[in-house]
Amino acid sequence: MSRVLVIIPAYNEEATIAAVIAKLRQHAPEYDIVVVDDGSSDRTAAIAAGLQGVRVLQLPYNLGIGGAMQTGYKYAERAGYDVGVQCDADGQHPVEQIRALVARIEDASGDVVVGSRYVADSDYHPTFVRRVGKSLLSRWIDLLIGGGITDTTSGFRAMNRRAMSVVARTYPEDYPEPEALVILHRHGLKVIEIPVNMHPRQGGTTSIRPHGAAYYMVKVALAIFIDLFRHYAPRKDGPAHGSQQR
Amino acid sequence: MEANSVEEIGFYALHRFGLLALSLLLVGTVLELVRRGLLKERYALLWLAASGTGLVVGCFPSIIVRLAALLEFQYLTVVYTFSFLFLLVIVLAFTIVISRLSEQNRELAQEVALLAQRLRQLEKHDE
Repeated sequence: MSRVLVIIPAYNEEATIAAVIAKLRQHAPEYDIVVVDDGSSDRTAAIAAGLQGVRVLQLPYNLGIGGAMQTGYKYAERAGYDVGVQCDADGQHPVEQIRALVARIEDASGDVVVGSRYVADSDYHPTFVRRVGKSLLSRWIDLLIGGGITDTTSGFRAMNRRAMSVVARTYPEDYPEPEALVILHRHGLKVIEIPVNMHPRQGGTTSIRPHGAAYYMVKVALAIFIDLFRHYAPRKDGPAHGSQQR
Repeated sequence: MEANSVEEIGFYALHRFGLLALSLLLVGTVLELVRRGLLKERYALLWLAASGTGLVVGCFPSIIVRLAALLEFQYLTVVYTFSFLFLLVIVLAFTIVISRLSEQNRELAQEVALLAQRLRQLEKHDE
């Protein structure tokens, strides 16, 4: 039986965080939960800390989604979890399908399992501009890592220990999802994808604003291109910090 | 193009003294900032290199005459070009420094969050 940690990065998500956690508890009661509060100005951290058994990592100031997510993976690595699942705090991710992600890690189908919105039997209908942008980006990434991953921007994913040790050391800062896939691939890890149905967000606001879409595309495309030429140092064994931390 | 004399290209004595005075002022300011601990030695080096160049040119103006002839620039253009290149280098150096600082800053914030959580956990056990 593997130990599973669900990582929920949250920035001003007081409206939805409790519901997401309640749903997680209902569908996967044995999974541990850590909420990474990314310097929220609302009551996100207080609400999460008040829930029984939920661990809260409170960042002293806002680092952005990449820095928050990586904090969760650092925690998972040090606490010795077998599987880490990242899940949004806004209720978009289909928590009821979380076991499907973890199952594919447990049967060693891949080191990283992405819950995809585009695979045949999911019904997700993004706006035209978003669809074009994301499909261009996905093509670009598919060209680079050649894995047949259709939904590279999905943040609903699970990783095994090997993958977590990579992202705990190297994780992109903003709009991290597509680039993280390339980094993981470059470290020789296998990324697979399964279909899921996303829900519309229940509260809060998306981190990608409309006028930021062009910046998003250019930044991510460039970052991914540069990643190809980056030299990743081979893993040094023996963590510098206490590895048994709970 | 033949190398002319210093005055012939318009680099008059007044300009020389101006350059010397400015360079001396910059050297003095940089050294004083380092002395007061407001500027780190490693970043002071770039500024000292720039003001040092100014001093050398002020003392040996024939350098600028030769450079102007070599590049077929007006002497003032030579000064501007090198000032611009220097600023380019120093700004690039600063963005490298800022990138490193923000990386360290991120790691520090993450470490604080992890340690604070661990501390709360330990305090709970003690109660």
